[in-house]
Order: sequence, then C-alpha cells, then structure tokens
Amino acid sequence: MPETGELFSCQGVSRQFGSARVLSDVGFSVFPGEILGVIGPNGAGKTTLMECLTGLAPCEVRSLCWQGRGFSPQEASRYLYYLPDGVLPYPDHLVIVVLRFFRQLYGASVERQGYLIKRLGLEAVLDKRVRALSKGYRRRLLLAIGLLSSQPLLLLDEPFDGFDLRQTLDIMSLLREMLTHRPLLLCIHQLSEAQKICDRFLLLNEGRVVALGSLDELRAQAGLREGGLEEVFLALV
Amino acid sequence: MPWSDLRLLKLLFLQDLRSLLGYPSLWITLVMLSLLVGYSFVQAQDLFSQASRTALAYPELGSGLNPVEAVFVPTMGAYYLVETLLLPFVVIRLAGQDRQTGSLKLLLQLPLPPVMLNVAKLAALSVAGMLLALPALAAILIWHYLGGSVYGPELATLLLGHVLYTLAIFCIALFAATVSATPASAAIICLAVTLGSWVLDFAVSSGDWPAWLSRSSLTSLLRQFETGLLSSVDVILFLSISALFFYAGAIFLPTGRRLFDRLRGILGGMLVFGVIVWVAVQYPAYRDTTENRRHSFNPADERALKALPALLDISVHMNRDDSRLYDFERSVLSKLRRLVPQLRIRYVESTSQGLFGAPENDQYGLIEYDYEGRHDQSYSTSPREVLPLIHALAGQKLLPDPVPAYTGHPLVVDSAVSAWVFYVLLPFLFLYSAWLFRHPKLFLDVSGDLNHEDR
Repeated sequence: MPETGELFSCQGVSRQFGSARVLSDVGFSVFPGEILGVIGPNGAGKTTLMECLTGLAPCEVRSLCWQGRGFSPQEASRYLYYLPDGVLPYPDHLVIVVLRFFRQLYGASVERQGYLIKRLGLEAVLDKRVRALSKGYRRRLLLAIGLLSSQPLLLLDEPFDGFDLRQTLDIMSLLREMLTHRPLLLCIHQLSEAQKICDRFLLLNEGRVVALGSLDELRAQAGLREGGLEEVFLALV
Repeated sequence: MPWSDLRLLKLLFLQDLRSLLGYPSLWITLVMLSLLVGYSFVQAQDLFSQASRTALAYPELGSGLNPVEAVFVPTMGAYYLVETLLLPFVVIRLAGQDRQTGSLKLLLQLPLPPVMLNVAKLAALSVAGMLLALPALAAILIWHYLGGSVYGPELATLLLGHVLYTLAIFCIALFAATVSATPASAAIICLAVTLGSWVLDFAVSSGDWPAWLSRSSLTSLLRQFETGLLSSVDVILFLSISALFFYAGAIFLPTGRRLFDRLRGILGGMLVFGVIVWVAVQYPAYRDTTENRRHSFNPADERALKALPALLDISVHMNRDDSRLYDFERSVLSKLRRLVPQLRIRYVESTSQGLFGAPENDQYGLIEYDYEGRHDQSYSTSPREVLPLIHALAGQKLLPDPVPAYTGHPLVVDSAVSAWVFYVLLPFLFLYSAWLFRHPKLFLDVSGDLNHEDR
C-alpha cells in the first residue's frame, strides 16, 4: 500500500461526443473501507464516468492506479466491477438460473449466494422468470449479481432506485457490511440517500469535478456553516 | 488459453445454449425446416420413381438417375431457404439479447477477451446446427432404408456446402447483431448481405457486371458444392467470408473501443482476407466427387491435357447468353481451365444480337483452336469432338482408359414413410422439445443454491 493509503486513483479522465465534452479532466481517489458517492445533476456525466473507468466507453485517461500501480481501462476488470442501472440480464431465464450462472462466472461460493438470496429477500422469486419480476425485485437481483462479483472495488449506479425507505435502509446496511471486503463507489441521484450512506462525495457538473471531500469539506467549499448535502449541492452547482 | 478462460467459456456456452434452446423461434424454424425438407424430399422421390420406371424398362436411360443430383440436391434446397431467411433471426435473437438487455456490460467485465463471448455463441449455435441437421439425416436414413443408393463423397460435398453456408450465415448475423442497436436493424443488415447475393447473381447473369463478382456471391458458392465439384477456392472463400464477419463482430463487440481503432482493425482484417483469397485463387485444387464423374474427362485425356507444354488459345464466337456457350462452358471449358496449364480463352462478341441475329453471321458459333502455330476450328461444343481436335493439334495420340459406364441407380419408392416422418414425427418431436425447454423447472434443483449458513 502506498504512503497516501489510496486504493484506487484516476487522473485526467475525459470523454468527448463530437464537439460536446461530457467529461473533462476528472480525477479522484478511493480509500480502503470508504463509500464515495458520485453526485450531480442529470447529465453531469456520472454514468459516463463509471463506464469510462471500467473500459466500457472510450475515453482519454492520464492515469489509472490500483495501490499505486498503473493500469489501462482495458485492464480495469481486474480491479473494478461496475453494476449499471437498467440492466435486465437473461430475461427469459429463471432468477435462480441467472444467479447460479453469475455465481459460477464470478467464482463466488454457494454459501455467499445463499446469504445474498436471504439478505435481499429473493427466495420468493427464485423460480420466476427475470422478465416477470417487479422493479424492486429486479434491483435486488442486480444487486445480488453485483455483490457476487469478486473485484475489490464495486461501482454501483443508482443502487437505491426502485426501493422504498425501509428497503433502502436495509440495502444500505447490507452495503455497509460489504465494506469489510471492499470499498464502494456509488452513483446516486437522490441526495438524501447519498448523505446517509456515503463517507465522501464527488460532485460533478457538466463533466467537471466541482467539489470532492466529506460533507464538512464540501460545506466549507460552499461557504456554508451548516446544512445538508442538498444545500451544499445547490450552493455549488 | 488459460484454464480459467476455458472454465468461463464453458459457462458462457452453457448459458447461451440454455437461452437458445428456450427460444420458440428456434423450434419454429426446425418445424418449418422439417415440413419444407419433407415436401422437397417427397417430391424428389416421386419424380425419381417416375423416371426410374422408364429406366427400369430401358436400362440405357438409367445413367441420368443419380440420387444425389436428383433427390438430395433438391431436398437440400429447403435448407437453403431456411438458412437464408429464418436462421438469421435465431442468431440475431441470441447475439442481440446481451446488448438489448444490458447484460453485455456485465459480460464485458469478465477477465476474458471479449471475442470469447462470440466464440461461446458460435459454439451454442453449432449445437443448433446439429439440430438443424436432423431432417437431412432423416432423409438420408429413409432413402437408405428404402434401398436407395447413397454415394458418400458426392453427398458429403453437398452437405459440406450447406455446413459452410450455415457458418457464413451465423457469422454474418453475429456481426449484424453486434453492430446494431436493435434486432430489426440487425435483421436488415443481415438480409441485405444474404439477399444481396441474389442481386449480385442476377446482375452477373444478366451480363451487366463482371463474371468474377459472382464468385463472391454466397449463393454461387453454395451452388458449386451442389454440382459435386469440390474446390479449394470455394471452401477457402466460404471460410474466409465467415472469418471476416466473425472478426468484424469481435472488433465491434467491446463498447470501449474508439471508432478509429475499430476501423483500423476492420481494414487490417480485410487486407488479410484479400491476401488469403488471392493466394487461394492462384493455387486452386479440385476434386470431382461425383459418382458419374461428370466434371472429368477420361483419365487418359486428363493426363494428356495436363502435359500440354505450350499455350492453348481458344477463341469462341458466341454471344454470352447463347445456350450453346453455356453447354460448351459446362462440358468443355470449365474442365479445360482446371487441367491445361497454359490456357487462354477469348470470347469474340458477335455483331449479331440475340436469337434471330445469329444466323446472319457466318462466323457465329465458330470455335477456333490455336496451339504452337497450328490452327483448327469447329462448331461443335461436345467434348467427344473437341478433345480429339486438341490432341491432334498438340500431336498427341492416346487410347482412352477403360472406365466403367455409369448406369445410374433407378429406384421406385413409396414416399408415404417420408411423409409421416417429416410432416408428423419430426414436427411433433420439435414441438415437444420446445415445450420441455420452455419449462426449465422440470430440470431445476435449487436445494444447493439456498445454503446460506455462511456468507
């Protein structure tokens, strides 16, 4: 581990669509055991950033480092796992078949799969087809797939979308449990939820990093003495 | 390939196979195929039986009764329709699903080269290919059971043509599904390529476009295998077209690649394709796999023609659309091209146009032969007259090798058995399989997956 204690860092991540620059020189670090929330208004480039980091979208990158060692976006799958929003894997298959497939693919144990099924309340839908699931169950299935993966840094896009308050708190608790294994990078639209679970925040606007740090640091940057993430967001964006 | 990659590849293959076997479109295709093959086979059997009745009375007519040519080529014609018009939709459904559902984003993050995702799909599709082969296998077995003769090499060439054509269709559809955002766009791209072959054939046959273009038409390539003449050029062309489209699909599969890098990759692939095809065309090899040796002269003639040391110049005074030229091409020129080391054929276009203009020109229909300063000419398009003429020009004297005359295999059969198999048994079998695979709970044991004592 380098002296800085950074687990993952990136510098100069940029992406252009024609003449429009959707990401511009984005850089940040992730530390062990933390949850970093990527927040920003619609179209800020949150999802694009995640896809660029995991090599799913073409981009320019100055550096990507894991524990101080550089790697290319094509090698990202060794360290990062990105769970996109709105994915419906193998809709014609039964939930248990899809879970078993990804568990085997990621080399996870049967015990871990069983634990996630129980923890995410998927027992009732195991013999249903994926396309027949409600939005909430689809999110749970996706989350189970993401948590079965083995890469040391997990990137989740809108992980609480589709959950009610109680379920959201339950999922937050599960994610906190998972922190003992790996840090998280969450792309969250709902600021109230982001404030509850994230340790630090990366505020993006129009593809640029507007602010990076804990809530207190963001408050200081916004010149606010008090207030939640929403007030800070409005002051900075 | 590392062991872990093979393990992942096997898992992907099994998952793709599970998806494929669950598609109603696959089973509907198989039912349609069974009905179409059945219809073609029954018709071919009836026609063969009618011709055989005459041949049994007059044995000299039996030489025209070649079972592969008369029964299996038309039967496999049903395959051509299904391979061209139905199969692409099954492939597009399988290959396009990952992109449409977003699963591709999950699969691309596996520690596996992205091309392996398409390798797994191609492997699953080859299992579907085996299912597709069932009606053909049934036809062969029924014919054998009814006492029909099956000449292995000729039939194997025909089947090889369809296997290669199906592979090409698989790869084209895989490519189309990879570069398209929706299945509809993929189907349009795929059908544009396959049906474009028909247009190419039509344009070439009408004389508007150069003849060499027809070599790149998938339909023409398949037709060569139907004739029973196995050519290294055709095999390599089929494999190269398949490889090119598969490679292009693999280039476009990873979403994180820049357009410039993709185009550069495609350009490199096309360059390699061009070199392979050029080498294949320069060094062709042929094998006449037909039982009646219809693509060959007498072995003595072939040896003599192969040994011609100088240039043989042939000038043909006929219009391209003349049926005599077609006969001459088929029975003489195509064979000479494969045998004579130095051959130049010139088509001297007549000023006469069409059927009624031809007789006005005295030279029309004349074929001139020049060899080492010696000249001869003839109006005949038959090898029986042309070959002695060429041997005489070259100063060759030869005795034909004794070759047993082909007497054909006349057979009168009752097609009722075939009708039952293709119209009832096989469709029922496919529909029952579709029902089984649409109810995967029948094979499901979840007890092991619910163990959650430990995380």
